[in-house]
Amino acid sequence: MSLRQLLKRLPYFGASGPPRRPLDTISSVVSWRGQSSRSPAHWNQVVSEAEKIVGYPTSFMSLRCLLSDELSNIAMQVRKLVGTQHPLLTTARGLVHDSQHNLQLRGLVVLLISKAAGPSSVNASCQNYDMVSGIYSCQRSLAEITELIHTALLVHRGIVNLNELQSSDGPLKDMQFGNKIAILSGDFLLANACNGLALLQNTKVVELLASALMDLVQGVYHENSTSAKENRITDDIGISTWKEQTFLSHGALLAKSCQAAMELAKHDAEVQDMAFQYGKHMAMSHKINSDLQPFIKEKTSDSLTFNLNSAPVVLHQEFLGRDLWIKQIRKAQEKGKLDYAKLRETIKAGKGVTSAIDLCRYHGNKALEALESFPPSEARTALENIVFAVTRFS
Amino acid sequence: MASCWWRWRRGCFWRPAARSPGPGSPGHAGPSGQRAAAAAVARAQFHHMTPALCCCSKTRSGEKYTDPFKLGWRDLKGLYEDIRKELFISTTELKEMSEYYFDGKGKAFRPIIVVLMARACNIHHNNSRDMQASQRTIALIAEMIHTASLVHDDVIDDASSRRGKHTVNIWGEKKAVLAGDLILSAASIALARIGNTTVISILTQVIEDLVRGEFLQLGSKENENERFAHYLEKTFKKTASLIANSCKAVSVLGCPDPAVHEIAYQYGKNVGIAFQLIDDVLDFTSCSDQMGKPTSADLKLGLATGPVLFACQQFPEMNAMIMRRFSLPGDVDRARQYVLQSDGVQQTTYLAQRYCHEAIREISKLRPSPEREALIQLSEIVLTRDK
Repeated sequence: MSLRQLLKRLPYFGASGPPRRPLDTISSVVSWRGQSSRSPAHWNQVVSEAEKIVGYPTSFMSLRCLLSDELSNIAMQVRKLVGTQHPLLTTARGLVHDSQHNLQLRGLVVLLISKAAGPSSVNASCQNYDMVSGIYSCQRSLAEITELIHTALLVHRGIVNLNELQSSDGPLKDMQFGNKIAILSGDFLLANACNGLALLQNTKVVELLASALMDLVQGVYHENSTSAKENRITDDIGISTWKEQTFLSHGALLAKSCQAAMELAKHDAEVQDMAFQYGKHMAMSHKINSDLQPFIKEKTSDSLTFNLNSAPVVLHQEFLGRDLWIKQIRKAQEKGKLDYAKLRETIKAGKGVTSAIDLCRYHGNKALEALESFPPSEARTALENIVFAVTRFS
Repeated sequence: MASCWWRWRRGCFWRPAARSPGPGSPGHAGPSGQRAAAAAVARAQFHHMTPALCCCSKTRSGEKYTDPFKLGWRDLKGLYEDIRKELFISTTELKEMSEYYFDGKGKAFRPIIVVLMARACNIHHNNSRDMQASQRTIALIAEMIHTASLVHDDVIDDASSRRGKHTVNIWGEKKAVLAGDLILSAASIALARIGNTTVISILTQVIEDLVRGEFLQLGSKENENERFAHYLEKTFKKTASLIANSCKAVSVLGCPDPAVHEIAYQYGKNVGIAFQLIDDVLDFTSCSDQMGKPTSADLKLGLATGPVLFACQQFPEMNAMIMRRFSLPGDVDRARQYVLQSDGVQQTTYLAQRYCHEAIREISKLRPSPEREALIQLSEIVLTRDK
């Protein structure tokens, strides 16, 4: 979404050069179990390989958005927020410094699965002219729309409740202004997504993405209402409810976009379902992987906090039972403040972390299973590698 | 000042209406009866408006008088129940927030126009007395898009009350924004299910216009002429585009003739602009009990609407206030006084009349029908409404 990002990627433009040999092969699911932990270097490599396969990662929709009068106006206005604690700043910073290389992951997966599925036999003759690197231009637009929707909700997620402000947040007027800008820029991204969707001229795709938006909004709502209770004891939701909510907030958009990419190439319902399954399970294992990071990293600073609603914690709680869990939290509380380092050690001593790893691998395997119905190709290998990268633990 | 205007209006525009909508007219019952009673109250007040002041309608409406709201509502029974059905949400609180404004207390002005336009086009096309289910769905979608934008506007403006009740902001801004997004997504799903790509493109334009209108509202122009064009463009994008494009959408569904699509669009556009101009007038002339929201709200938000821009021509000292967006203490009250002393309110009303005139000219190109007459009537109600 950022200019920097786009410029960084411009050298890729049109390049579909020979990919290097993938690091993993699909030969055995067991072989990647228990390998060394997911290092950032490894992850970055998997993503960069994948980006080369799709030719160029995005269309120019985000560049057009970025250079439009409206957004440049906003960019100027955001400067007024510097010095406040408005979350919009963090979101904006995250868009520019994409340290985890996760920013356009959704779009990238949509492109890869489009390429892995290839042209369908139904209309192989008519639409090939707008194929670049084995991907239809409408599928590229779809990838961009997926990113737009994701970014819009990222921005809307960062609205603050004005009656809960702390004096350290900054003046009320500035925070109000931050909300205003956040709503407007999120709406602007959504309007562009709607516009792009309409241009695809496919009502099924519009319906899929609109329902993905609805899922995402509900998912973000759940996430907001649990994270609002930071430092307090979370609701006892259980892992099955956790899975449903996580699908809404993290899986639905990718799953439905992957399905829509198949629909755009007129692939049949079966292929569409496989693409949906890949998107869903890949997103779930990706989410569980990032939930696990605070518990498996070699070096974690004691001050590192974690979400009490993350997969390992929810599982830990389920094994332990509600009462014991509440006792453990009380124990880790000092003067009303939660000692995360202490609580982390308690959780690591239980079964939550290992069963979260199992759950992550379960979804990884499901994602790989879904890929088996696609013919072998470098794009399919890249999709597999993404799964391998998020399911590696030491 | 006000009495001057009164005389002037009587001279130029006021014609005693042969069939003015009033409490005594037949066919006034239920909500429209209340409306008429409220209109009577408004007439008693010094500044406000006259019934049926558009001069052309009497000559053109040959058929017997029908209350447009009553006529339109026949196709809208269960409107809000149906909208609530579109919001399939599992979380109780989120559902409650999303349904909050679909309580049946809104004017349903947009759905009424949409169904009337649908029938007028169908009759024009092949004398069909039916309305398609998809056309009614457009009415739902129009109300949903409108509501989604209200929810976001209220957070942006930090508004506390609307339609006589508190805004969804009391749940907190974080949740309110998501409720708006949710209503928009439900509207998009309903739109996609109609299964017509042209209709999708037409209504997508609305979403883009709404956002761009909101951006236009952020900026202000130095130059007076530019300022007025800016204001009208903003008015089109924020209000009229939704009405124009939903009218166009039902005409596309009902009739293949592009000329009819253009008539529907132009009618909606002109009525929509007139509607907003009167809304801006009411912000100065109405009291907050009637509006269900605080008045002088625009000034408090730093917005210079039609009445202010006209007043500024008479009182150039308002320029500075406009440019600083009424931010100094006392600016809002002073600006309000200037506006009431000037003929800003009258000029804006006159401008609204011209837009209504144009709307009537457009819709009169369609074959006569009770719905066409109702749309003509509706454009007059837009001018005489007091809430």
